Amino acid sequence: MAGVVSVQNLRKRYRRRDPWAVDGVTFDLQAGQAFGLLGPNGAGKTSVVKMIAGLLRPDTGTVSLFGSDPGNAVARKDLGFSPEDPDFPKFLRASEVLDYFASLLGLDQAERRRRIPETLAFAGLEAERRQIRQYSKGMKQRLGIAQAILGRPKLLILDEPTADLDPMGRRDVRALIERLKASGVAILLNSHLLSEVELVCDTVAILARGRVLKEGAMAEVVPEGSNLEDVFVRLVEANQPQRDHLPSFISDTTP
Amino acid sequence: MNGSGAVARYTLLELSRRRILLVFFIIGAIGIIALGGGLKVLYQVAASNPQSFASGSVDAATFNHFLELLFVSYVFQALAIFALLIAYAIGMTAIYHDLDSGSAVSIFSKPISRLAFAAGKILAAIVGLIVIVGLLALEARAVMFLFGGGLENALTGQLLAVVANAIVVMLIVLSVSTWINNILAAVVTFIYYNVVTGIIATVHMLADGGLIGNAAVRNVFDVLYWLVPHQLVSSAIRDLAKAQIEIAGGATSNQALASVPAPSGAGDIAWWGFTVLAFAGLVYYAVRRRQV
Ligand SMILES: Nc1ncnc2c1ncn2[C@@H]1O[C@H](COP(=O)(O)OP(=O)(O)OP(=O)(O)O)[C@@H](O)[C@H]1O
Ligand SMILES: [Mg+2]
Repeated sequence: MAGVVSVQNLRKRYRRRDPWAVDGVTFDLQAGQAFGLLGPNGAGKTSVVKMIAGLLRPDTGTVSLFGSDPGNAVARKDLGFSPEDPDFPKFLRASEVLDYFASLLGLDQAERRRRIPETLAFAGLEAERRQIRQYSKGMKQRLGIAQAILGRPKLLILDEPTADLDPMGRRDVRALIERLKASGVAILLNSHLLSEVELVCDTVAILARGRVLKEGAMAEVVPEGSNLEDVFVRLVEANQPQRDHLPSFISDTTP
Repeated sequence: MNGSGAVARYTLLELSRRRILLVFFIIGAIGIIALGGGLKVLYQVAASNPQSFASGSVDAATFNHFLELLFVSYVFQALAIFALLIAYAIGMTAIYHDLDSGSAVSIFSKPISRLAFAAGKILAAIVGLIVIVGLLALEARAVMFLFGGGLENALTGQLLAVVANAIVVMLIVLSVSTWINNILAAVVTFIYYNVVTGIIATVHMLADGGLIGNAAVRNVFDVLYWLVPHQLVSSAIRDLAKAQIEIAGGATSNQALASVPAPSGAGDIAWWGFTVLAFAGLVYYAVRRRQV
């Protein structure tokens, strides 16, 4: 099957004196595959997906998105990207944001008329008339997912899509991923909700301090009788200095 | 260009919903009406007193003309100030807000080139500026009907100069605010455009007028002058100064007009075109380099 994303030896740091945010990451993603990118806070997950979406430039290494450099506008034609903490022009309304982005995607008038109301309804924002600046975090998250699927992408990148969502929203996203995967769309999911990842992803990579600690099919990474969370915690803790879990002024029993 | 139309359209929609621009516009609009109305009332008061024009030193027509001159010269200053305020307000937000809020993350992940994005933003900023300053000028034009008229062309010329200058400022703020915080960007632009450039242009003008004798100083400022943007000046400024001197009964000479900027020549206008292209290029470069 055709390669959707190919990442080779990717390295990135934000400033010269910083440690590497991404330090030699390599993986491939095929159509119809759901890939979970996991790791503790600051591991470099967001940095990796931003390089795939052409938002950050790698310091070394290469990214290929549908066979081209993601810096080229055309390479992003079939990309849907739902950022972590999404935000939008704050004086616009949801329908206007979607119309704006639909124009950027090159959708014609008829397509826009068909897709925008349906997408808004999927996000549960069809009745929302206020401007983005009056939105809650979860409402912005919903719009973030909505704009990512608007172009009917062949690659959908979801960076912590359910972090701010209510239970119904989470269920909808899970159904969305299943449906898209079945129709051959490649999914790249960053998430801390490991039980969810375990349900929807068939491949995972666990990242810590910019490096891949473990990568493979879900069945290989998670042995029988174990679960992803146990594997993750064991792996990550083995790779970082042990620390006390509570501040001493909290854990001290004598006040 | 693919997508730049959509960027421009929605940037303009956002601008139209920004309260600060509305406030600037309303203050400007009220100011112009108050100014014109006030001067007209002044005229009526003077005309209703039979003694006013009896002495023969000024007749009613001259007085009316004087008031109109006064109005126009205030309007010129007001337009220049408001155009600058609006240029800063648009320049500080049109691109910066997208970067600061994180909207740029979703926008740049769409299949739009950074060139098309920059072009759309620049287009929206210029259209926004022209619409707001143009409406203020239209209003000033309407107020001028209160007086005898005859200075309408001066207004048009000055409007063009004011908008042309404001576009340069706006492009500088747009590009600098793509790199750094927008308030800092405004400060940097102010220092570069309004202070440094202003000093260079003033010294250069004084030297040209023969007020600075030292040839070395003159040469240095001749060179510096062609390294910075030039504020365009319409012929209206000198015409107005001349008319005011004449109405006051003085004789106009080159000496008296030396500190009044001369109208921009073809060279200045060509230089303006070049600076607009250069700073638009800088906006594109900044947007292109920007990681979000
Ligand atoms: N804009 C930035 N400027 C400087 N450093 C940054 C920036 N963004 C991220 N970093 C650094 O890069 C490293 C990786 O961050 P990244 O956001 O990729 O982590 P993450 O795995 O997505 O974390 P999280 O689970 O918290 O979202 C961190 O050390 C972070 O401090
Ligand atoms: Mg992240």
